[in-house]
Amino acid sequence: MTNFFKLLRFELDRFFKLYIVLIVVTIVSQLAGLVIISKLYMRRAREEIVVNQNSMESFLETYGQFSLANLTHSLWFFGPIALCIVSLLIYVFFIWYRDWFGKNTFIYRLLMLPTERLNVYLAKAMTIFTMVLGLVSLQIVLIYLEMNLVRLLVPRDFRLDLTIHEVIRSFDYFNILIPDSFLGFLISYGTGLMAVFVLFTAILIERSYRLKGVFIGGLYVAASFFVFISPLILSEIFLPRFFYPIEMFLLEVFAGLIVMTGAIWLGYYLLNKKIRV
Amino acid sequence: MIEVREITKRFGRKEVLKGVSFTAEKGEITCLIGVNGVGKTTVMNAIMNLTPIQSGEILIDGQKINKRSYEKIMFIPDAITMLPQMTIQQAMQFMDDFYESWNEKRAKELLDFFKLEEGNKISNLSKGNTAKINLLLGLALDVDYLLMDEPFSGIDIFSREQIADVFTSHLVEDRGVIITTHEINDIEHLIDKVVILNDGTVVKSFYTEEVREKEGKSVIDVLREVHLQ
Amino acid sequence: MNITFNKRDPLYVQVIRYFKEQIATGAFEPGEEIPSRRELASKLKINPNTAQRAYKEMEEEGLIYTEGNNPSKVTKDIEKIASVRQEMIMEAVDAFVHAIRPINVSLDEVVGLIEAKLNEEQEGRK
Repeated sequence: MTNFFKLLRFELDRFFKLYIVLIVVTIVSQLAGLVIISKLYMRRAREEIVVNQNSMESFLETYGQFSLANLTHSLWFFGPIALCIVSLLIYVFFIWYRDWFGKNTFIYRLLMLPTERLNVYLAKAMTIFTMVLGLVSLQIVLIYLEMNLVRLLVPRDFRLDLTIHEVIRSFDYFNILIPDSFLGFLISYGTGLMAVFVLFTAILIERSYRLKGVFIGGLYVAASFFVFISPLILSEIFLPRFFYPIEMFLLEVFAGLIVMTGAIWLGYYLLNKKIRV
Repeated sequence: MIEVREITKRFGRKEVLKGVSFTAEKGEITCLIGVNGVGKTTVMNAIMNLTPIQSGEILIDGQKINKRSYEKIMFIPDAITMLPQMTIQQAMQFMDDFYESWNEKRAKELLDFFKLEEGNKISNLSKGNTAKINLLLGLALDVDYLLMDEPFSGIDIFSREQIADVFTSHLVEDRGVIITTHEINDIEHLIDKVVILNDGTVVKSFYTEEVREKEGKSVIDVLREVHLQ
Repeated sequence: MNITFNKRDPLYVQVIRYFKEQIATGAFEPGEEIPSRRELASKLKINPNTAQRAYKEMEEEGLIYTEGNNPSKVTKDIEKIASVRQEMIMEAVDAFVHAIRPINVSLDEVVGLIEAKLNEEQEGRK
């Protein structure tokens, strides 16, 4: 177990510089974005009301009140989020391939450690997972910060204060990243973790069988996906309206667990019996 | 003792190892020799379970390799495998973190012996010094068996001499060492046993002092005979 | 300490021959400490097992001796040293005779030449 944590720390260290860059980009872009779009909004208000002599009511009717939704719908907000998502997706592959194709072939070291090789696999997965959770927590903190900042930037009459739930709901897909219930959290992140394991195992299939492995890996991913959605297929095509929603949910959880266990077991097997440096 | 028994290995259709068998004893330096591309490195990788074999068996002190074996046997590949951005000190710390058999005193001693500074980054080291650090990271482990892949290739003469010194010092004493080379000249006085690999099999294995004493032949004489056959 | 090894004789035999030379000429004095097998291996750049073998054989031949855990020493046995010297001379003579036999040269001629050569070398050393 201690070896797992040592490996985890080591893997986190290796990504740390890039991670800091992602964090700084996100903070700067979202805060600067909020300042800029709120200033633009207020300038327009001034123009309409002071220069064009329109009433405040008619301005608000045309442009609406300023809320954090204005920010969340802008590139300033979701740009860095997209950047983080893409970076982490790339890193799912990079975290393995760098050990083979980096300047010094580090995979030798990792495979010759006096510890279960599965620890390397789990530590890498946990690294990705920790990074995602870290960025999501950063986002929640940032939203709180932005909720306070907007009060300083926009006068009360022009402002619509949203609750954090409303902010999150204002941005499509956001409730996947920040679910509003514990169950939602389990579903989102359980599925995410499962996907990471499946991709990791597909990468190990490629690393074990090389060119042939690309095809086998592709088939494996397709098969995993099929198993995962099999309860849906079952209920949609063969047994419409047969299952209660809760039964459907449990079947889905079960399918997810099968896929995840399968991925980890296969990863364990490949690392111990088939992997090549 | 490391026992390699009838191992076979294919890369695609190409059969690289066609039933290789040999043993390497503790306290002896065994040299795996053969031309480039003959599969020496593959044998090393197979012993360390870094590449799967199609058939055969490899035993270390009678046991198949497992996670605990890596405290007993270490492989030093022909190029360094530590991250380039690490300093020597960080590389040594990495070893210390994971290996119970890491011997810090010996690591420091080797660092002095090679005249290297802990603060240097691996990516800034010369070729010869990189080879020395590569060696150090393996030699400073209190393991019973050491595998070294071409420890003399591609480095300057003075680094070679220093590395050769390692073989005659207490650093390898009482250990079982397997070293690969395609160039026997530098080391024929250092090794106990030669295993000649050719065309995927072991064509001959012998003790160097024995062929000198009984047949009056040098190691190169034997290699020549094998090649002319 | 420096030996130029040939590649076809067993190294341990060459090491023993070197020690015998040193003992016969008095370069290694009776009772003098000799290097440990590891020091020897490292000085001569040979395998420690080879050094070990050489020491074992020399110990059996009585050229060196070891008391307890102390470093090994050159024998103090004067007769032994004399016989080593004798052996070295005989070996050299054998080789010499073997070498000149095919040339068919008379004893007087050879002795004269040897004397001249030795004098010449003596001069050269001064």
